[in-house]
Amino acid sequence: MRALSIAATGMLAQQTNVEVIANNLANMNTTGYKAQRAAFQDLLYQNIQQAGAQSSDTGTLLPSGIQLGAGVRTAAVYRITKTGDLESTSNPYDVAINGAGYFRIQLPDGTDGYTRDGNFSLSPEGQLVTQQGYVVQPGIAIPSTATAVTINTQGQVVVTLPSQTATQTVGQLELTRFPNEAGLKALGDNLYAETESSGGPQAGVPGSTGYGTIQQYFLETSNVDAVNEITSLITAQRAYEMNSKVITAANEMLQQTAQLGS
Amino acid sequence: MDNVSLLSLSYQIAAYRSMDVIANNIANVSTPGYKRESVKFEEVLQQVKPTEDQKGQQSLSFVKDAGVLRDLSGGRLETTGSTFDLAINGDGYFVVQTPGGERYTRNGHFTLNADGIIVTGSGDPLLGDGGPITIAPDDGDISFGVDGTISGKQGQLGKVRLVDFANPRDLAKEGDSLYSTTQTANPAEHAVLAQGMLESSNVQPVIEIARMIEVMRAYEATSSLEKASADMKRQAIQKLGTVQ
Repeated sequence: MRALSIAATGMLAQQTNVEVIANNLANMNTTGYKAQRAAFQDLLYQNIQQAGAQSSDTGTLLPSGIQLGAGVRTAAVYRITKTGDLESTSNPYDVAINGAGYFRIQLPDGTDGYTRDGNFSLSPEGQLVTQQGYVVQPGIAIPSTATAVTINTQGQVVVTLPSQTATQTVGQLELTRFPNEAGLKALGDNLYAETESSGGPQAGVPGSTGYGTIQQYFLETSNVDAVNEITSLITAQRAYEMNSKVITAANEMLQQTAQLGS
Repeated sequence: MDNVSLLSLSYQIAAYRSMDVIANNIANVSTPGYKRESVKFEEVLQQVKPTEDQKGQQSLSFVKDAGVLRDLSGGRLETTGSTFDLAINGDGYFVVQTPGGERYTRNGHFTLNADGIIVTGSGDPLLGDGGPITIAPDDGDISFGVDGTISGKQGQLGKVRLVDFANPRDLAKEGDSLYSTTQTANPAEHAVLAQGMLESSNVQPVIEIARMIEVMRAYEATSSLEKASADMKRQAIQKLGTVQ
């Protein structure tokens, strides 16, 4: 009986769906988090009777065939790359990207990671680092004597030093973009890594064509829409329940068959 | 085997098949662009010789599955907010280039690949009027018009090919939400494209569950019929076989 295994694929798919929704809801307040969605596809079909086959030698055709499906599979879990809302903060090292692009971060193993979480701090050496202490690339050092730090929309980091009237530019933030940002691999800690499907990184200056601008004193909130997630959760739960009902029904039918001879 | 068993067996096979189709519908309740299916049955008549006290023609009618029909009505459009999620409102299909040739789909979940080409979840390119569509990072935010026109910051980039068929029910399913056919694809006239949306499957849970209960009960009834007939036979053997 095929119905049992078909319903099982349905339950598995809905389970993945619930897991993805749970992760979205858990990350509702994670800076720069992008909501994910599970994408489903139907499984292969078995041809029992071909549509369009001749039903007589006078050329009449069967209007529809018999194709039996084998259920459903999770084709992908993809990220919705829509920009989240910008939320104002009072930390001068909180920067949000308004538009496309990622900050490049040097990971401890020497490779590059990418993030949209602009919640930065200073290291003991005065370097601009992420909350894990990883250095934002290209490295920018803020003098410890600086009285004010300004990051303009083009990503220039400008400091005011005591007893000086002129400001001093100490660095330039860079943005990286990818041909297919949905193809980036999530590493956790709000970091992403380049993959074959994301394409190679292309660095550029904030504000130039195709790159977003930098907003100091802002953080990009997650783009998870709670109402949307909760309604999806209810739908997924009901779909799971329905698939389990199919299993019960198929089981009951099989049981009757088994009892026939008694 | 006697006729009662054979008749009920023919229905039981049909019921199993109905159940498989219902299970597939319910399993695909969240598959974008999935169209619900239903099994259509037909009667197969067999003439039998009437017994002496019966008049006229007697026939047995067996049940056989004639075809699986696809309900082509549109599903709800669900907002996802993803740039390359497209939904077709009305009749029409997207054209996808697969290794096996052109295939058609209504599952409008597309992404870009590493070369910036719009592809399906399985990596097959979506076809525009001039072949696969490439998006450069400089194009900025991409928007799709209702007729499939794609435009970016630097103007028009192409047009998504939307097609329709004379007999869309004749399309064969290939899995992975793809259809194949030997029919000629005509430009779709009644298709409206919606960006940032996906067409959800048109499976209506209430109908499927009701149908499932119906099949289950009918199966139960057939089983009891078969059991009753077996009981009758057993009694006949017992009674007739008793030596008085």
